[in-house]
Amino acid sequence: MQKYSIFSLVKNALSNHEKWDLAWKDPAPKKEYDVVIIGGGGHGLATAYYLAKEHNITNVAIIEKGWIGGGNVGRNTTIIRSNYMHDDNGLFSEFGMNLWRSMSQDLNYNVMFSPRGIINLAHSDAQMNVYARRGNSMRLNGIDAVLLNREQVKEIIPMADFSENVRFPIFGGLMQPSAGTARHDAVAWGYARQADSMGVDIIQNCEVIGFDVSAGKIDGVRTSRGDIKAKKIGLCVAGSTNILAEKLNMKLPIETHLLQACVSEPVKPVLDNVVTFGAGHFYISQSDKGEMVMGGDLDGYNSYAQRGNLPTLQHVLTEGIAMMPFLSKLKMLRTWGGIMDMSMDGSPIIDKTHIEGLYLNCGWCYGGFKATPASGWTFAHTIAQDRVHELNAGYSLNRFNTGYLLDEKGLGTKTWIS
Amino acid sequence: MTQNYRVENTGLINRDKKLSFKFNGKKYSGYEGDTLASALLANGVHLIGRSFKYHRPRGFFGAGVDEPYAVVQLFRNGETEPNIKATEQELFEGLEANSVNCWPSVNFDIGAINNFLKIFLPAGFYYKTFMWPKSFWYRIYEPFIRKAAGLGVASTKHDKERYEHKYEYCDLLIAGSGPSGLASAYAAAKNGAKVILAEDKPRFGGSLLTSDVNIGNQSGRDWAEGIVSELKEMSNVVVKNRSQIFGYYDHNMLVMSEKISDHLPKTKKFHPNKKLWYIRAKEVLISSGSIERPIVFGNNDTPGVMLSSAAKEYLKVYGVLVGKNPLVFTNNDSGYETAIEFKKNGIDSLVLDTRKNPESEIINEAKSLGIKIKFSHVVVAAQGYKRVKSADIASISDNKKQLGKIENIKCDCICVSGFWTPTIHLASQSGNKTKFNEDIDAFIPGISKQNETTLGAANGVFSLEETLKTSFQAGNEISKKITKTDKKIPIPNVVEKKSSQHDKFWCVPLPKGKNYKRFLDFQNDVAVSDIEIALREGYRSIEHVKRYTTLGMATDQGKTSNLNGLQLVSEIENKVVPSVGHTTFRPPYTPVSIGAIVGREVGKHSKPTRKSPMHSWHEKNNAVFVDAGVWLRPRYYKKGNENLFEASKREAKNVRSNVGVCDVTTLGKIDIKGPDAAEFLNRVYTNAWLKLPVGKARYGVMLREDGIVMDDGTTTRISENHYHMTTTTAQAANVLSHLEYYLQLVWPELNVNVVSTTEQWAGAAIAGPKSRDLLQKLFPKSDVSKEGLPFMGYMEGDLFGVKARIFRISFSGELAYELNVESDNGNFMWEKIMEVGEEFKIQPYGTEALSTLRIEMGHVAGSELDGRTIPYDNALEGLTSKKKDFIGKRSLQRAAFIAEDRQRVVGVVPLDKKTSIPEGSHLVKDANAPLPNPKLGHISASCWSVEYDNPFSLAILKDGKNMIGKKLFVMSPLKNKIIPVEIVSSHYVDPKGERVRS
Amino acid sequence: MLYINCPHCGMRSQNEFSYGGDASIKRPELNKEISDNEWNDFVYNRKSLRGKHLELWQHISGCRQWIKVERDTATHEIFRTFKADEEVAS
Repeated sequence: MQKYSIFSLVKNALSNHEKWDLAWKDPAPKKEYDVVIIGGGGHGLATAYYLAKEHNITNVAIIEKGWIGGGNVGRNTTIIRSNYMHDDNGLFSEFGMNLWRSMSQDLNYNVMFSPRGIINLAHSDAQMNVYARRGNSMRLNGIDAVLLNREQVKEIIPMADFSENVRFPIFGGLMQPSAGTARHDAVAWGYARQADSMGVDIIQNCEVIGFDVSAGKIDGVRTSRGDIKAKKIGLCVAGSTNILAEKLNMKLPIETHLLQACVSEPVKPVLDNVVTFGAGHFYISQSDKGEMVMGGDLDGYNSYAQRGNLPTLQHVLTEGIAMMPFLSKLKMLRTWGGIMDMSMDGSPIIDKTHIEGLYLNCGWCYGGFKATPASGWTFAHTIAQDRVHELNAGYSLNRFNTGYLLDEKGLGTKTWIS
Repeated sequence: MTQNYRVENTGLINRDKKLSFKFNGKKYSGYEGDTLASALLANGVHLIGRSFKYHRPRGFFGAGVDEPYAVVQLFRNGETEPNIKATEQELFEGLEANSVNCWPSVNFDIGAINNFLKIFLPAGFYYKTFMWPKSFWYRIYEPFIRKAAGLGVASTKHDKERYEHKYEYCDLLIAGSGPSGLASAYAAAKNGAKVILAEDKPRFGGSLLTSDVNIGNQSGRDWAEGIVSELKEMSNVVVKNRSQIFGYYDHNMLVMSEKISDHLPKTKKFHPNKKLWYIRAKEVLISSGSIERPIVFGNNDTPGVMLSSAAKEYLKVYGVLVGKNPLVFTNNDSGYETAIEFKKNGIDSLVLDTRKNPESEIINEAKSLGIKIKFSHVVVAAQGYKRVKSADIASISDNKKQLGKIENIKCDCICVSGFWTPTIHLASQSGNKTKFNEDIDAFIPGISKQNETTLGAANGVFSLEETLKTSFQAGNEISKKITKTDKKIPIPNVVEKKSSQHDKFWCVPLPKGKNYKRFLDFQNDVAVSDIEIALREGYRSIEHVKRYTTLGMATDQGKTSNLNGLQLVSEIENKVVPSVGHTTFRPPYTPVSIGAIVGREVGKHSKPTRKSPMHSWHEKNNAVFVDAGVWLRPRYYKKGNENLFEASKREAKNVRSNVGVCDVTTLGKIDIKGPDAAEFLNRVYTNAWLKLPVGKARYGVMLREDGIVMDDGTTTRISENHYHMTTTTAQAANVLSHLEYYLQLVWPELNVNVVSTTEQWAGAAIAGPKSRDLLQKLFPKSDVSKEGLPFMGYMEGDLFGVKARIFRISFSGELAYELNVESDNGNFMWEKIMEVGEEFKIQPYGTEALSTLRIEMGHVAGSELDGRTIPYDNALEGLTSKKKDFIGKRSLQRAAFIAEDRQRVVGVVPLDKKTSIPEGSHLVKDANAPLPNPKLGHISASCWSVEYDNPFSLAILKDGKNMIGKKLFVMSPLKNKIIPVEIVSSHYVDPKGERVRS
Repeated sequence: MLYINCPHCGMRSQNEFSYGGDASIKRPELNKEISDNEWNDFVYNRKSLRGKHLELWQHISGCRQWIKVERDTATHEIFRTFKADEEVAS
């Protein structure tokens, strides 16, 4: 494989950029694989990559209904963080943070991981206490966290509303300085390119029609491009989880919902950090292109439409202006929606299933992007070793039976309330 | 130099009103009715900005919403706004604007060095480099890239403008006031339908403003004017200009942004800047017309290259010549219209037509006017840097692959027409699966998905006669179904020139040895070569191409570039365009003001504020308020220089020693009535309710089905079938919905009704050893003695002529009562309590003192009932009935919930009895353990015990039951604190609960 | 914004309603012995497919009635709405 570098860029420039290799091939599916990963999103591509890299399993196919990276990995607000309260979430995410830090070099693809820090604003002493609980938990887990007072917040984000005319004054905030953003598409493409180079088949426009299961064991998958036999199959399809689970007669604690996001027109840099509003649900960062990237609430009813309605965005942007009034003078340029696999406690599932050789990776809610490397790494481990790694032991499907839930927000099973 | 490019006797501008304005600091003049673009062009200014990546000089390309690069920084009335399209901004006196994305100036821009490096900066170059050494990305590369980001500059000041929202319902919403919009609106209006006609531009008429046609016996423009003035007179019609319908959402909800003030030097008093209309339409007619598409050739981004329709519009609407030596480059008849218009104004142009020997009425007219035409000719490249100076042209072979000898000809602008692309955005947004029409090389709407009908050019119909016929018909037929009225309108005669077939040609091949940049997306600098690289590297899905090259991602959202991009991909991939597919259009059609989307809900109004009837009393008495959900509650009442800690301690102490009063109006209150009310409560709450006598209250806990505590509160049996439930402030709305859910859906057989009465009652808690004495004086006629009103008793009383409910319940753990009066009497009640209470040394107390009181009593509240705890965790398992079933009971049997070492609320006291314990800290066994240090629990609430005068906290602790007496460490790394503590019972004060029963 | 036909009030915009999720879930009867699996299935597992979806909404800013709505989760088309106690024939 061609190595990307400034030298290769110059060399190719001199040959008029006509000699670049394919980033990944476009093979037809083979009859049989050791492992088939269903879903060519960030998590699926990362899983295939780590199967090859960490477990030397390369007879692997990723099958994707549309085009790789077309799901939530290409439809998120690119935030990467590990500011969780529960140990399982915190330690898992922090493991991921380390993978993020070296991802560009590891993949030889600049994913532009940018640790610009995330600040969760607090608007009351009670909220400061809630954040302290989370921040202290992070620190005791070895994750960076700083509690900021009002003046410290003002110094970092003076454009937030520190005026008198404000409904929810800023009391302070919890900051994770090492959190940040990355270029979302590049993550998918970088994983795809490396996985491909190690022998993984990336098969696009290949839709799953059904599964072959016999005697409680997975045999293969039936697709729009023919039947594919597989010893092991990993399900990694985010918002489409319930659709495939139904084909397997599985019922899951997952609901499918729409999350919208939007960007403003590009403006010169004014905001360096990722900032979240504490008196509602709004988050914002400014991309390297200058666009304000903003998101917030779910549309609030089960949805498979990658399109949303304006009142949700109105609500989200209302909170945006409440936090940063200057947004009022900007214009909303693009909106889009992603289909979220909302789990009943807000935390994911990476586990084996009752079917031998079938593995499940879902329930990422709106936190899937940041988890891409850790999810791929642990899912690859779970598939390769046929047992969960201690990092994803808490993400078992059985926790809904035992009651060992990981409810970060304490909202229970009304997944549509964010 | 004043308006040297303005011509006499044409245009719709008001020449009587001259306006002066500044661009990049230089003064110019224009006329009322100009856009910033037309006024600048009238002054011969073409250089307006720099492109995003290469900082190449950029000028005007279009004349409206499709403009891909002429965006400016606008200054208006002391405020500034970035990224305003100069082609849309109407001129006003004193307007000031600057170029964006250039430094130090648009004429000399340092960033243009990228233009010389462009060979090293192909699509996706940044994915391939900036990776070594690792730390350089964070420290050097990214900050550098980031600095280059963005176009205009965002003001960080608060927006002074006001934005309004309007909700509207109509029979027909018509998007666009061109011929199809006017005809359909007119027909529908005549049938009596309620019509809204929206036009994004200041002037109505669309293409009729610039085309040379006759309708009836008048010019197209006059006909349009006549129809519009007639529509404006009709009471069932709303006609709106400067109004962009930017989104077609579900269930025929469309959203329109109306510019009210942007064309004025400042917003008029009491006027909004913009108004956002949410319109629910029964039927939607999309008459949004079409946008001319460019032909791609070398250096086609040079200022002076523009759409031929734009050149025509500048001339016909604004009386402005975009050049005096124009070259027209066309693959269809439209280019000739522009050439003829130039000729009429005394300007000779040269027309290059890619077609071999086309014949049509208009070509004949051009010929007869003496316009020079070269068939089978193309522009190979524009020459000139900041302005077109000449063009390299050549003949082209019939197969469009070979160029003839290149010839350079002088010109000062190149007007290009590559045929027309229907504006199908709204139809696509509605869910309509658009289809590719080979005849026009473009997508048109397919089968209607919602109640939308697309008409005229937006539907790929470019003949005026056909457009009017179908539009009158559609307007009539669709409205007729709604209004049951059928007024046939005679369709007027149309005189228009018949067009010949356009040439399926969209990109000029590169001549041998030349490597001109041929741009598709002008703002983002996406050239043909970038698409080629993306495909070569395997980014083959159109979505991959888009994302890898940023094609169509600029502020114009690809209105002029998307289709050419698709053509290129289909050509290279050897696929037909429809199988390459196209990206689905999402709202907004064009960028929309965020201020307008948000409307009035800004500043203090961003969320409602709820206040108790006693709020003004609290204000007058120096209350410091705290947000409790959307309520404002007094946190403490400040005396002199007291701080929060001192004041709350004083208030709490006074409750313990005398009597205090607290505003508890915010608690949720629900009236429950019906013969099955007791049974219902028995199912909702974890404890037993069937035997609660009338006149008694009971504390209850309710769970979610997953076993987690949802809420707690007291419910009182007012009479046989009438209960009064209280909830926490935070959960009031959720609890009501929860009750309604079970009553309506799960147990409809229960005869019970519930209704919220939170707003109906004002509440005051009076607490402290002297509260009974105070109560007796407030209700001299009632027996409120220990026997007359025992603990958890209820009675009604007469509070100086006001009916009051008296509950003997306590949250503070003291002897306490809660009074409720109708909201209107709340202030009266409060003042009476304060007045009569004076002799008992009454003081009001706020939520902070209330917290202290409840914490040291070990009463759990929101910080313990945090949506993750079960009754046992809160030491409330005694209230979970073993005998009966209730909501969530079955979940309590799960392994985690019955685990031996299950978490439980405990008390925490620092060993030194001095160090305050920060809330949100965690409990650990070993403060020096390596990270991750296992956490045993967390501090949920802290106070300074007024009873014992030392710090006291509540914690939710793993195996809490067996930890009493143990010594642990409280750690708050955030605050750098390690505090040795002892675990004690959560019931720190009055563990037997004697006071409340006293 | 969806336009929902409240069987009690008529056509109303979605912002008058709050969502209540899968309407096919049936709460186990009180006091009935059931297995852990049955119970947890009721508490956590949801029907959430693409296409027709029977779901609950409450007209909170109107009549406060819980209603059932048959809606397509991909297109948002609403086919039918029902009162809380109405039987839904498929």
